[in-house]
Amino acid sequence: MADRSLFMEGGQLESPLVRLCIEAATQSGDAVETWRRQRRTLERLPSQLAEALLHRLLCRRLLYPSLLEVFKYSVEKIDLRGESSVDAEWMAYLGAFQYLCSLNVSDCHRINSSALWALSGMRYLKEVDLSRCSKVDDAGVKHLLSIQTIEILCISETSVTTNGVTLLSSLKRLSKLDLGGLFVTDTALASLQVLTNLQHLDLWGSDISNEGASILVKFPNLTFLNLAWTKVTILPNVSSIACLNMSNCTIHSIFKGEGNKARLSKLILAGALFKDITKAFSYFDSNYLSFLDLSNSSLRDLSFLSFLHALECLDLSGNLVGDDSVKYIAYVGANLKTLNLSNTRVSSVGVAVLVGHVPKLETISLDSTPTDDLAISYIGMISSLKVVNMKCTNVRGVIQQNGGDAECVLSLTALENLKQLEKLNLEETPLKDEAIIPIPNIKQLTHLSLRSSFLTDASLHHLSSIPNLMNLSMQDAILTNAGIESFNPPPSLQVLDLTGCWLLTKDALLSFVQRHSDIEVRHVLVTTFLSDNEDNKYHSPSQTLIRTSQQRRFSSSPLKSEIATIIDQRVKYSRAELLSMQFACTSVGPSSNPPTSPK
Amino acid sequence: MKKEETVKLISAEGFEFIIDKNAAMVSQTIRNMLTSPGGFAETEHRQVTFPEISTTILEKICQYFYWSLQYASGKETEFHIEPELTLELMMAANYLHT
Repeated sequence: MADRSLFMEGGQLESPLVRLCIEAATQSGDAVETWRRQRRTLERLPSQLAEALLHRLLCRRLLYPSLLEVFKYSVEKIDLRGESSVDAEWMAYLGAFQYLCSLNVSDCHRINSSALWALSGMRYLKEVDLSRCSKVDDAGVKHLLSIQTIEILCISETSVTTNGVTLLSSLKRLSKLDLGGLFVTDTALASLQVLTNLQHLDLWGSDISNEGASILVKFPNLTFLNLAWTKVTILPNVSSIACLNMSNCTIHSIFKGEGNKARLSKLILAGALFKDITKAFSYFDSNYLSFLDLSNSSLRDLSFLSFLHALECLDLSGNLVGDDSVKYIAYVGANLKTLNLSNTRVSSVGVAVLVGHVPKLETISLDSTPTDDLAISYIGMISSLKVVNMKCTNVRGVIQQNGGDAECVLSLTALENLKQLEKLNLEETPLKDEAIIPIPNIKQLTHLSLRSSFLTDASLHHLSSIPNLMNLSMQDAILTNAGIESFNPPPSLQVLDLTGCWLLTKDALLSFVQRHSDIEVRHVLVTTFLSDNEDNKYHSPSQTLIRTSQQRRFSSSPLKSEIATIIDQRVKYSRAELLSMQFACTSVGPSSNPPTSPK
Repeated sequence: MKKEETVKLISAEGFEFIIDKNAAMVSQTIRNMLTSPGGFAETEHRQVTFPEISTTILEKICQYFYWSLQYASGKETEFHIEPELTLELMMAANYLHT
């Protein structure tokens, strides 16, 4: 599966024979030796093929510094992020790559300033990512200054000081500069104002104050600005900005000033404190704002929303808003696609207010709110919904009719009206077996998450009739060995999460895994490669990319480097091979400890 | 085999491979050459010369065409590629869109 994703990323590599060739070329160290001996460099190889081959070698741990030499005329982009083996020797070979235009060595903790010396003087390098290479300091920046072609530079969370940042002013072509987590002072920022091509500037966690922020008007092309976790309270009128992040700042005013109003489309103010939010929102052109994140901002009053008619995505989670504020959301609901009201005081009454005012709403999150079954019936009236999250609410699935004991209505029946519903999360709600009876009637459902200690085998069997189900989670349920034995999963099922189903034994689970090798089963007893896979996902480079810089800031880096040094054995084998090895292992010894667990 | 249903592929060294038209159509590039309107020599003579592809590689390519048809019809065998051919074959496959 990893192979497939690799080639999908490549985009142009749809040719199946090319894929087979790359597989064959990276089959083993011997195979590599065979084709390597044929020629010194691969100059005739088109760059996209060379890059695909190189990354496949990297995935299979067959790449070593001197092998890089064969790629030196053919590779234009190289992504080595998170590779713990990448060090000065690698950089020496990479420095000889004639046509390299993009180099990503983020999270390569062995890279230090002197390793960057090898890059100095490269002719076509446009993009350099050194994020979180903590050994890179001002000396490293000096090596980079000789590469005048650099347009994109990411040095967040390195050891570069404010002096090093000042030096960057000589890289005149810079259009994107990520200085997140560096101690950048107002003076250093002032020295960067010669970089008039700058479009993207990341300064989260820096020492910038209002004085420094006033310099930002000197960047005429700035469209993206991140000032999260800074002391900035007043942002001047930088009218070119389309995307602004001022999370965790205290905000007095944004874009106050003369001239054109900024056409902001994305605004992230998570965890921000406002002096007067209505005033703070009054200085920019609100007709373009489509993404607004105001999570955890201690808001009570939402009346400021009434100007924001273009909103598509609104995050109000973790605020103190209640039902009386929902009318403001309904007022601007015409274009709303995503609405997050998790951890607010909104109840079923509030959900009722939304009905009829949100014709395009696709995702609603009411996680940890005091909503109940009544909210489900209102949600059933919002027919555009694709994703519903009602985790940790008071939904019981059964409504007792006016005090009578005989009449019960199954509230989830209302969801049958949602013809497009794909994902439903009802975790941590006290659902019983009878409550989930209507769920199989939601034909488009692909993801279902349940977590209730009242659910039994009957529910599992009942849910097997959902035709398109891909991901089923039934945590903490009372499932028995007999139940799992006779469970006939829907043909499209890929993941079955049985975490916390304590009655199941290892033998029963393994026999299920054996019978359905294409389904990934999650349970504490299904250890070995499946749980390892999880860890891999968590530490994979793509995850590191997704993780926001704020989260990274508080992560413990020593632990991470330790994990990164463990060589991943799984990449050497296919899933089928691993499965066969797993069972070979269990058949020999009764207690097989999980191998190389990074924990 | 009728002549109309075959095509001739010629390698850099001048070796000729006569194969089913259906098999050759596995390659998007050859398909375009054989079907595109405008009276190209390739379309008329059902013959394509590849001055960049050596005989060994073209032979392997032809084997792949037939394997690919079999695979598509449900016969799931493995297509073995010798390590020493991988890179040349990769470039040829890339050129032929196969």
